[in-house]
Amino acid sequence: MTDRTAAPAIDFRGVTKSFRLPDGKTLTALTDTSLSVGKGEFVALLGPSGCGKSTLLRLVAGLEAPSSGAVAVEGRAPEELVKAHRLGIAFQEHALLPWLTVRQNIELPFRIAGRPVMRERVQGLINLVGLAGFEAARPKQLSGGMRQRVAIARSLVLEPEILLLDEPFGALDAVTRRQMNVELQRIWSESRISTLLVTHAVEEALFLADRVIVLSGRPGKVVRTLEVPFARPRHPDVMRTAQFHQLVDELTETLHPTDGAGH
Amino acid sequence: MSQSATANGPARPSLVGRIGRTLLNFWGIALILVLWEALVVLNDFNVIVMPRPWAVFADIWANPGLYLQNFMQTAWVAMGGLVLGMIAGTTIAVLAWSSRILNGLLTPIGLIFSSIPVVAMIPVLARMLGYGTETVLAIVAILSFFPFFVFTGSGLKLLPAGSADLFSVFGAKKHQRLFHLALPSALPNWTVALRLASANAILGAMVAEFLMGTSGLGQMLHAASQAFNTERALGASVCATIGSVTLFVLVVSLEARVRERWT
Amino acid sequence: MSGERTQSALLGALGVALMLGAWEVIGQNRLVGMTWPPFSSVMAFLFDPSRQALFSRALTATLGSAGLGYLIGGLAGLAFAMLGQILPVLRPGTDRATAVIHAIPSIALAPIFIVLLSREAAPTALAALNAFFVFYVAGASGFASSSQTQRDLMAALGASGTKRFFHVDLPAAFPGIVSGMKLAVPAALIGAIIGEWFGAPRGLGILIVNAMQNFQIPLLWSVVVLAATTSLVLFSAMTLLERIVHERYR
Ligand SMILES: Nc1ncnc2c1ncn2[C@@H]1O[C@H](COP(=O)(O)OP(=O)(O)OP(=O)(O)O)[C@@H](O)[C@H]1O
Ligand SMILES: [Mg+2]
Repeated sequence: MTDRTAAPAIDFRGVTKSFRLPDGKTLTALTDTSLSVGKGEFVALLGPSGCGKSTLLRLVAGLEAPSSGAVAVEGRAPEELVKAHRLGIAFQEHALLPWLTVRQNIELPFRIAGRPVMRERVQGLINLVGLAGFEAARPKQLSGGMRQRVAIARSLVLEPEILLLDEPFGALDAVTRRQMNVELQRIWSESRISTLLVTHAVEEALFLADRVIVLSGRPGKVVRTLEVPFARPRHPDVMRTAQFHQLVDELTETLHPTDGAGH
Repeated sequence: MSQSATANGPARPSLVGRIGRTLLNFWGIALILVLWEALVVLNDFNVIVMPRPWAVFADIWANPGLYLQNFMQTAWVAMGGLVLGMIAGTTIAVLAWSSRILNGLLTPIGLIFSSIPVVAMIPVLARMLGYGTETVLAIVAILSFFPFFVFTGSGLKLLPAGSADLFSVFGAKKHQRLFHLALPSALPNWTVALRLASANAILGAMVAEFLMGTSGLGQMLHAASQAFNTERALGASVCATIGSVTLFVLVVSLEARVRERWT
Repeated sequence: MSGERTQSALLGALGVALMLGAWEVIGQNRLVGMTWPPFSSVMAFLFDPSRQALFSRALTATLGSAGLGYLIGGLAGLAFAMLGQILPVLRPGTDRATAVIHAIPSIALAPIFIVLLSREAAPTALAALNAFFVFYVAGASGFASSSQTQRDLMAALGASGTKRFFHVDLPAAFPGIVSGMKLAVPAALIGAIIGEWFGAPRGLGILIVNAMQNFQIPLLWSVVVLAATTSLVLFSAMTLLERIVHERYR
């Protein structure tokens, strides 16, 4: 299903990223991290808060440069993909422009890329994320979950080769979050874009991803890689199986090793 | 106030309810008028020193041409100067936005000029540019320049959370950042500048006219105060107030509409 | 980060230096004519010992009326804002009255104050009026900035409107009020100077308008520089106070 022998979609080779703080000290967010995302693969990134997950994503998007090591996207520098408008991204804080309507927000990437707006594609995405009827609404008139869906539609509108999602559902309650997971999995199944998802939620990672990568606490480092055994398309019922629960426990244990002492 | 009265108020506006609401909205203004009247009565002013309001309106009624001509004169230099200052202030703010060096050079100058009584500089400008209508126009333009420069400048940096990164990932060029992101973000601040500048525009025009004694309502006020013609002086004040309050109300409603749409 | 801050401070200082340099060059070469004296001669004029008495008398008069107006206007503005906060029914009325007062060009009110009060009192009255508006806006938005949870907590504790005001709203408003104290400085000075133009016996405004009418260019510029510098110094002092308060209360 996933071809990992060809040039990977995202390739991290021994990447270290340090920040210089205002007081002159340096803070190392990531140290000697290597990982890759294959073409058409969905990888979820788990890790404790502050371990460098967002930093890793920003390196892929070319928003930061590595202190050492190399980041390649489709075998090239991230900036080239950005210049070609081949990268889709959705942030935790949704980053919708408040003065634009839902439709205009989703059309924005076309305008920035200087391409004619493909109206049917925009409408198709609006329908896909379940926002038909809200095309003319402004972000503040939407619920948190609806805003996240607009951001996801926007990230997909140019049919990107790489999709980056940074805790896209972080601000949602558990029930809405699960609904959004089901919808994202449906949307993703239709396009199969190489995707890197950052999340705090173990269940979300297991339900959505082909592979789950766990980072250690700061400075971040890959401590575990897990191939998710569930076949696609995945029905939400998979989350009720014993195997799913067992994997959740396993990953939680990796994330918070001390918690498991009493088991 | 009874429970039922407040509950019924908004649903079915009866005559009593409407009068009550108007009173609530305007009690402050009514209080000022009552205080004024009381002061006149208590001080036992005679008609020559403090004309009754009707005498002021009678003077306007008897000399409509004179009042109208002076009002139009002051109104157009105030509006013209406001527009000139708006264009200059906004343009320079955008230039400062696009160049870090220019921004660094100009920001403190803008701060200095917004913390000093610029109105006190009107005599310097009048002497420098010569007594005349163009000078009044230039003075209003300069007074209006600083709010537009300072507020637009800070507004251009008030971007929605995450949107700057989003535009980087879109591969947006500088002009696209300006027109799709920075300028729309600056609009709420820009309307604040418009409110501040328009409150000052008629004041600035009148002060300049008053000091130079050349034309408009300011000159009228000057001549009338010299001749102890209090009715005429108050007539000029009434005209200026009507113009200024009308402008202010228009601008405030524009500001409210922008705020409504932008947040 | 800190390197960036030093850089922008340097650039800012360079910008101000360039402005003063341009002032000097234009004045030296008479690029704008006789009405633009060079920076150096304005400074020489300003610091000439023989004029210290003149300047200090005018400055004292203006600062006196502006300061008194600042106090009166400030207290009235805060009181008005408090009224709207303790009795919310009154809030729309206070808002509207203040906005209209603000929209009236203060020069248009000068004739009324001269009749109702006196020529000597007009500077104080106009300074008070300008300060009133700034303090009202700062107070009203400041009082309203206490968080809903805090207010709910006070309601749950059974606090009266007045209790809530003094325990929650007032401290929450403090940073905003201090910012208002800063912005009211130039506003009050403008009011005092305009008021003086209506025939006060002395003050910076009188010096300015006399110098203008008598073509005393260096005097005109010196007094304007004096007024601007005074405002700038007071404004900077208030900015310092503001920074301290903001650090405490936020
Ligand atoms: N621009 C920056 N300057 C300085 N330090 C930074 C910067 N960006 C991130 N860091 C630091 O790098 C570390 C990792 O940050 P990052 O945002 O990648 O964490 P994260 O894993 O995404 O955390 P969370 O799960 O809470 O979002 C943190 O300690 C953070 O303070
Ligand atoms: Mg993060």
